[in-house]
Amino acid sequence: MNEKTFITNIFDFVKKILFFDFLKGLRVTFGYNVSKSITERYPDQEKWIPYDRFRGVHTLNRDEQGRELCVACELCSKICPTDCITVIPMEDDTGRGIADRVPKVWDVDLARCLFCGYCEDACPTTAVRLGREYEYASFDLSSAVLNKDQLLVPQPIPESFKGGVHAKSRLIKTKEGIEVKADLSQTAKRKV
Amino acid sequence: MGQEKVLLVFEVTLIVLKVIVLSLLLFLLPLPMTWIERKIAGHIQGRLGPFRVGPHGLLQPFADLIKLHLKEDIVPDLADKPLFKLAPIFSLVPALAVFVVIPFGEEITIPFLDRPVTMYISDMNIGLLYLLSVASLGIYGTILGGWSSNSKYALLGGLRSAAQMISYEVAISFAVIGVVMLNNSLSLVEIVRSQGEGIWNWNIAYLPVGPIWFAIFFIAALAEINRIPFDLSEDEGTLAAGYHTEYSGVRFAFFMLAEYVAMFTMSILNVILFFGGWNPPFSLPFQLPPVFWFFGKVALFVYLFMWIRFTLPRYRYDQLMTIGWKILIPIALINLMLTGLLRI
Repeated sequence: MNEKTFITNIFDFVKKILFFDFLKGLRVTFGYNVSKSITERYPDQEKWIPYDRFRGVHTLNRDEQGRELCVACELCSKICPTDCITVIPMEDDTGRGIADRVPKVWDVDLARCLFCGYCEDACPTTAVRLGREYEYASFDLSSAVLNKDQLLVPQPIPESFKGGVHAKSRLIKTKEGIEVKADLSQTAKRKV
Repeated sequence: MGQEKVLLVFEVTLIVLKVIVLSLLLFLLPLPMTWIERKIAGHIQGRLGPFRVGPHGLLQPFADLIKLHLKEDIVPDLADKPLFKLAPIFSLVPALAVFVVIPFGEEITIPFLDRPVTMYISDMNIGLLYLLSVASLGIYGTILGGWSSNSKYALLGGLRSAAQMISYEVAISFAVIGVVMLNNSLSLVEIVRSQGEGIWNWNIAYLPVGPIWFAIFFIAALAEINRIPFDLSEDEGTLAAGYHTEYSGVRFAFFMLAEYVAMFTMSILNVILFFGGWNPPFSLPFQLPPVFWFFGKVALFVYLFMWIRFTLPRYRYDQLMTIGWKILIPIALINLMLTGLLRI
């Protein structure tokens, strides 16, 4: 026992003289130096496409004939724990919706929404869905309230698209501002 | 009569030209060095480093340069103003003046004039002595900068670096003495020449003392140029930025320039003293220019300095002093005796 500690002491001393721990540390950092970086060049080079279970900004859907699925039953606004959905129904028999009852107003306040998905569950016609849009940062609170017309615009990433991947993206400068488009054809899973 | 005058004028112009070219190169040196350092920092930490300005962030140093020149040049109200303004110059001038004796290679011939030109400004026979003494004058910039800026952080940084540089100056001088004993010369060109013909004649391979001298020199060099793990004078964790806390704009750029030039100098010294300067490690079937070998080795050392910076944590102040006085100097003394015995 005693002899063993003596030998280990000598061994440790030799290690110290030869800068063993220092070289070990250098090896670790060199390994990182030559390995691939994990930086995601968001948003103009790469973009994260979330999984389809992701709960982002709401969408209002239409059926195949282009009719609004929402029947303005107000179940979503009733179940909403934060009371952020406002639905005002109206009568309309011109074929705008699948029933004669359609929403006049369907507003969601994203500043208050906690993205629990209860509205999705409550909806009898699968009209409201939580999409995969997650870029809704804004400078003022008023633009956090989305109305029906904005929600009815189909979101860029189709619901059938499998998520959890990185897509190449590119920056498009328009007169209205800067838009970032994800290129879904070039997606890849990355090791982190 | 005319012939000699023409020759004299030619020699003088040549030296002036060399000085101008060298100082221009040295002033431009931080541009690639900062970029490389930030890239290496990024990749070691799993990031990408600068990527926005230019392809792969290549224009980032220029953006930094413009930024530094546009910044307001602040002199603190209660600072010792003349000293505060002089300190960056004090740290920059010795860093540049060192390059008078540093050789980059043997003679080369100018293609059209057919005249040999040396790759150094001067080959003093006391080159190493000049180098050590001038390089150690650079401490004045640090000390004056720290003490004159009337700030507690700067003052502490200045104090620390004064103690640190003085302690490690001893160890570095011992290491240089060791090299002088191995090569019987103080001239840098002579030292490189005597390490010619293969890797086994380099000072690092002079067993058993060569590697020990190298270890002492390298550790002391790290401390001399204030790099991690010995960068206590600009310890950002406790001292904001250390001795240059109060500096901004171009004056701060001068300090940075001096620091990068010092790092370059120390890399060059490591190469010249221990790794055979511009001598190739083994004879190749084809000839590579000596400058290639020289700057290749220097680049390796620059990388090593940066690599260490992002590997090691900083030493505590008392540990720093312990390493300097209780470890490096005794080892240097023993090694000195050993070298003397080996060279009898």
